[in-house]
Amino acid sequence: MNSEMLTIEDILSKTTDLPSLPAATLAVMRETDSPNATAQSVAKHLALDAGLAVRVLRLANSAYYGLPRQVKDVPEAVVVLGMRSVRNLALVASTFPWMNRPYSGYGLGPTEMWRHSFGVAVATELIAIRTNVASSEHAFTCGLLHNLGKTALSVWLENKIEALVGFAQEHHLPFDALERRVLGFDHCDVGAHLGEQWNLPKSIVDVMQFHHRPDDCREPIPLVDCVHLADYVTASLGIGLGGDGLCYEFSRHTLERLRLAPVDIDKLASDFLDVHEKYQALFEGVAA
Amino acid sequence: MVAAPVLVGMTEIRITTGAGELTCLGLGSCIALCGYDSTAKVGGMVHIVLPHTLPEKEAKLGRFADTAVPELLHQLEKAGADRKMLRFAMVGGAKVINFGDGNAMGLDIGTRNVNAVKHQIQNQELDLVGIDVGGSLARTILMNTETGDVTVRTVTRGEKPLCSLRGNP
Repeated sequence: MNSEMLTIEDILSKTTDLPSLPAATLAVMRETDSPNATAQSVAKHLALDAGLAVRVLRLANSAYYGLPRQVKDVPEAVVVLGMRSVRNLALVASTFPWMNRPYSGYGLGPTEMWRHSFGVAVATELIAIRTNVASSEHAFTCGLLHNLGKTALSVWLENKIEALVGFAQEHHLPFDALERRVLGFDHCDVGAHLGEQWNLPKSIVDVMQFHHRPDDCREPIPLVDCVHLADYVTASLGIGLGGDGLCYEFSRHTLERLRLAPVDIDKLASDFLDVHEKYQALFEGVAA
Repeated sequence: MVAAPVLVGMTEIRITTGAGELTCLGLGSCIALCGYDSTAKVGGMVHIVLPHTLPEKEAKLGRFADTAVPELLHQLEKAGADRKMLRFAMVGGAKVINFGDGNAMGLDIGTRNVNAVKHQIQNQELDLVGIDVGGSLARTILMNTETGDVTVRTVTRGEKPLCSLRGNP
């Protein structure tokens, strides 16, 4: 198919094996957002997916929480873990199966999309908490899903990655600009469309849309800046970099808006490695 | 059956005294520094993340260039390597993100890492025989601890030999 003829709608309708979030996970995301949510109400949604409920129980009983007794029912597990951890776990368990695949259109081998997305999720939450400019409530989710568009676009870029990276380097183009030149849109546009189809909150869709170009937001969006910086830190450290994690533009205005100085970056990167290690240990056994 | 290469994760230092391979995957701004004594057949690799030790991070010796280089040397010697026989190669330090005018603000961790590792190599008077740093490509390094051969792989260049750490015959 001639890629010049494609529209985002074509991509989303003609790509087989598009990722999806299970209904139970979407329901848990909505419920944990509700001010009226209770452990019972969240557990009710978790019960729609037996595998998810088992994972929540397994996590609550993990050595990380070190409880002296066994947690036997899901509502109690929700109390132990807290709403945020339950939501993060539901997302990790639901996205791992398709994020852990290779996405060769971006030069990403098996596990690399997952490693990068998980890394950005952890870093985004750390930055949101550290800077206190954005609510950290959705930070993990935003980080985890920021590259959703790549999962749909990858197949359309297959067998072109070497030529594309070569062209991008020769012309000093960031990869998202190259996507726009080749396709007329980029993975950010595709991710935002997909996020809207999933009825994700606007705050998450905005992150998918603007995470490479935070200065294009009509008004600054703190979570977009957190993800932009998290992406920079994670990519710089080579986490799930693949072939295309190259030459994206970093906006220094992001640092200004987050009230950080360049000198803070090394400490942030070092702290990120420590937090990332803990998160990995925590979710490792329950993701797969 | 050939054993899989031993992965040297961020901050880690790995030493090996037999046949095998050491690797750091997908280096962005990080640096892999590897050393090899072909007589003692002792090799080692460290995956350096940042240039300078942060006040509260003294325990993470492999993470920072200023502590990682002396520690790699120390561990190689402890495993039986002779300092005079050791040859080194360094790989990584890429700028995988563009910063525009932010470069001047020190955002380029890769370049700062390269400078810090080179400074340590000079201080320790180490014999650096192979170097592939900078640019914007992520690199994967592989060192064969039987032959001392070092190769580097990137998406666009494929796998290429960098150098041999065997030294002069």
